[in-house]
Formats: sequence, C-alpha cells, structure tokens
Amino acid sequence: MHPHIRMALAAALVAAVVVSATLGVPAVAAGGGSQSRITVFGASSLTDVLPRIDHAPRYSFGGSNMLAAQIRHGAPADVFASANMALPRQLAAQGLCSPPVAFTRNRLVLIVPRANPAGIRRVGDLRRPGTKLVVAGDGVPVGSYTRKALQNVGLSSVLANVVSNETNVREVLAKVALGEADAGFVYSTDAKTVSGKVRVLALPARARADVRYGICLTTDGQASRAAQAFVRKVLGTAGQAKLAAAGFLPLSRG
Amino acid sequence: MGRAIGTVALFGATCVALGFLVLPIVAIFVHTEPGTLLSQLSNPAVVDALVVSLEASAIAQLLVVGFGTPTAYLLASRRFPGRSLVITLVELPLVLPPAVAGLGLLVAFGRNGLLGSTLDVFGVSIPFTQTAVVLAVTFVASPLFVRQAIAAFEAVDPNLVAASRTLGAGSARTFFRVVLPLARAGLAAGFALALARGLGEFGATIMFAGSLQGVTQTLPLAIYAEFDRNFDATLAMGALLVVISAALLLTLKLSAAWQASRQSSPSRSGLLGWS
Repeated sequence: MHPHIRMALAAALVAAVVVSATLGVPAVAAGGGSQSRITVFGASSLTDVLPRIDHAPRYSFGGSNMLAAQIRHGAPADVFASANMALPRQLAAQGLCSPPVAFTRNRLVLIVPRANPAGIRRVGDLRRPGTKLVVAGDGVPVGSYTRKALQNVGLSSVLANVVSNETNVREVLAKVALGEADAGFVYSTDAKTVSGKVRVLALPARARADVRYGICLTTDGQASRAAQAFVRKVLGTAGQAKLAAAGFLPLSRG
Repeated sequence: MGRAIGTVALFGATCVALGFLVLPIVAIFVHTEPGTLLSQLSNPAVVDALVVSLEASAIAQLLVVGFGTPTAYLLASRRFPGRSLVITLVELPLVLPPAVAGLGLLVAFGRNGLLGSTLDVFGVSIPFTQTAVVLAVTFVASPLFVRQAIAAFEAVDPNLVAASRTLGAGSARTFFRVVLPLARAGLAAGFALALARGLGEFGATIMFAGSLQGVTQTLPLAIYAEFDRNFDATLAMGALLVVISAALLLTLKLSAAWQASRQSSPSRSGLLGWS
C-alpha cells in the first residue's frame, strides 16, 4: 500500500510540474513574440485594404464588436482598427488601449443581387412584405449604422423583414452576392470587392450615417515599436492613398 | 525501478489529460456566480435559442430515425455491389468540416442551388428558415445514427431472424418483433449521439440558415451572437449545453450498462462499442 501512495504522490507532483510548464511556456513565448511580428485586429471591411498597406503583421479580421470582446478577454492584439469610434473608446476607458484616432471613413449602401429578384430600386421598397433583408447584428458597427440610417428616414419598420442578423459585414455581403438574400446593408468598399455580383443603391443623403474608423494601440501595442510604426503607416500618405484607392473616404468631409 | 517510473509517467500523463479536458468545463460553471447563471436562463435571447434548438432537434431526430432506420437495416441486411461505397457516402458528413456542409447545403438547396432553383420556381425558399436549420442539423447528425444502427442490426443473430421466419412470421413482423427489440440499445445509442451532435451544430447552420433570434438562432449561434454583448448569457447557454450533453452521455452509458446486465452473452456488449 505504501509504495502505491508514494507513487501516486510522485505522479501528482509530475503532473503539477508538467501542467505548470505547458501553461507557462506558451504564455512566455507569446509575450516574447510581440517584438518581431505584431498582431492587428481589424474590422471585416478592412480585410482587403490593411494587408495592402502593410503585409507584415498577423491579421485577425472580424466584426469590430467581436474583436473588442476578444481583447477584453485577453486576446493578444497589438493594434485594434475598428469600424467605429465607440468600441475603441470603450476599450480606452477600460484602460485596455490608447485613446483612438480616426483614420478613415466609409459610406453605408444598400446592395441587391445582380439579378435583383425582389425588384428593389430604392430603400423604401424594402417595406414590401416577404423581402428577405439581411443586416448585421445590432452590436456590429455596420448593424448599428444600418439601424440609424433606417431610423433617419423613418423606415425602421423594414427591420421586420430581416431574415438574418449576421456577425460581420462580409457575411451580409456574401449572402447578397450569392443571391440568397434580396438586399443587405454594407459599406460601399465591401460592395466594390464583388462588383460583378451585386448592384449598389445609394441611400438618400439624410439616411447617411457618419461611418468613422478608429485605430488604437492595446497595452501590448503601446510597448511595441512595430505596432506604433504600423499605426503611423496607416495614418501616413501612403496608407491613406491605399485606403482611397479601395474606395474609403478621406477624413476631412467635402 | 523502471516499472515505477513507467507507472509515474502513466499517472502523470493521465492527470494532465484529465485536467486539460475537465478544466474548460469547470471554468464555464465557476466564472460567474451560479445565481447569475440561473437568472440568465430566463433571458429572452436564451429562452428563444433553447426553443429554436429543441424544435429543430426534435424534427431533425424524427427525420433521422424515420429515414435512417430503414437505410441502416437495408445496408446491414443486404449484400450488394457498391454497398461499401454507399456506407462510406452515408458516413461522409461525419468527417466533413461543418463549414463545408453549410456550403454544400447552400449550393444544393439555396435559391440558386441545384435543387433550390427548382424549388424557387414553386415559391419555396429554404435559406433563413427553420427548415434550413432542420436540414443542417439532420445533415450533420444523421450519419452518427445510421452508423450505429448498421452496427446494431448487424449484431442481431441471423439464426433468430431465420427461426422467426421459419415459424411463419412475415418479414415485417420479424423486423418489429425480433430485430428491432434486439437492436434497441444500439439504436438508442445512435439516437443520443445524433441528438448531441445536432444540438451542437454551428457552422452549417450559420452559413445556410443565418441567425435570427426566435427563428434560426440556435443555442450555439446565440452563444456566438451574445459573446460581445452579454457574456453571462453565453456562459449560461454554455452551461445549459454542458448539462444537456452530459445527460445524454449518461443516459447512453446507463442504457448500455442496463443492456449488458440483461444479456448474458458477453459478445453483445461489443455492439455498443462506439468510437
């Protein structure tokens, strides 16, 4: 009996050592890795343009709200590029990133599949019963802009025709481009990436929401020169030119 | 000495494996106070997701059993050229990534899909509906049932079937009075496994059915949607799914043990050796 107990104790000790080693090593490695290659969390709508500005970082694209939640739960991001100012401001208020700087703007548009099966010509047509409208969820920046835009023109009732609340703008784009949805709200830059498959319907001027992108350095990023250089690159002439080429709007209005 | 080291290594590895597998499940329950978890269970988003999940799973399981049982019986009782190929095809969704399943369902049953474009002519549109959720769940869950059911039917002693026929029972009567009771435990195991897999379905559903609270937003989809908004709600739904899955697994084990104790032949218990 005695040797068994001793053996069990030894086993527990070995297990404790192995567990602490396996838990400790990757954490250290991740911390050390931030020197060489930075990680940028970017809004889905920036999927194509950010790697064109700088292909060096590791990118994780998704709904800005999802990315912010991941950062709150300790995801190893150095830079957060959000499709609104509110999310990075919240993170800054929680001490999780630097005060955000606006770096570009975008325009909300209504898209329909090229074949336009529901015959939608203007935003008011979305009221027709049975229209399959796909939008992004309420917390996703493009989803909030969509609701605001509809409210601005007194068309909040069309939300009754929503058949899916997607988790990011590219999911909305995909479902309209595939022809599964009759219409969806995305940014004009997203529509450009699948131009042959969708038609873009401009929204009336009073429906337009102010779509402003904010960038900030996380606590890790503030200590990283590469992360600071990345933000400078995005804000610099070359970065702004790449954004403009992709259809993003300059910061100064008009 | 060498043996002692071996034993220590064995124990050590087991402790690590066990700790690694159990820790995330424990963490779901201890991250927030139990009271918060319980109160989140009445959150409308959670209730809606539970109802959508249960409804879709109930309908899907009806389809799985209704079509899967005859399919499995045919494949288990007849030998024909291409049988292995058919079994492989039936099992394929089991190893397919869920995102691929979603993609396949879209291009098959979507408005512009192979079959969907024909359905569209008749005014039937499947994506974004509860039907789409049911199809996604059925697609990923049915192979688990069919696989298990084939094994269960194959394990039925052919002599008993032959005896039943010799004594004058028709094939239908033999099936319901002899084959089905003998294969019952295996079928139940397949049912529980398919149900558990179906309740956890995520990838195919979000691609094919979209996500709308109270319509197509199942529990796994709601966990994803609420992740950034209400973390307590995601934990509550996570805990709920852990409890349901554990209950299914426990039922499975108990029914297997019960069946094994009832049947003296030790070879019978092998029929439940699902992997």
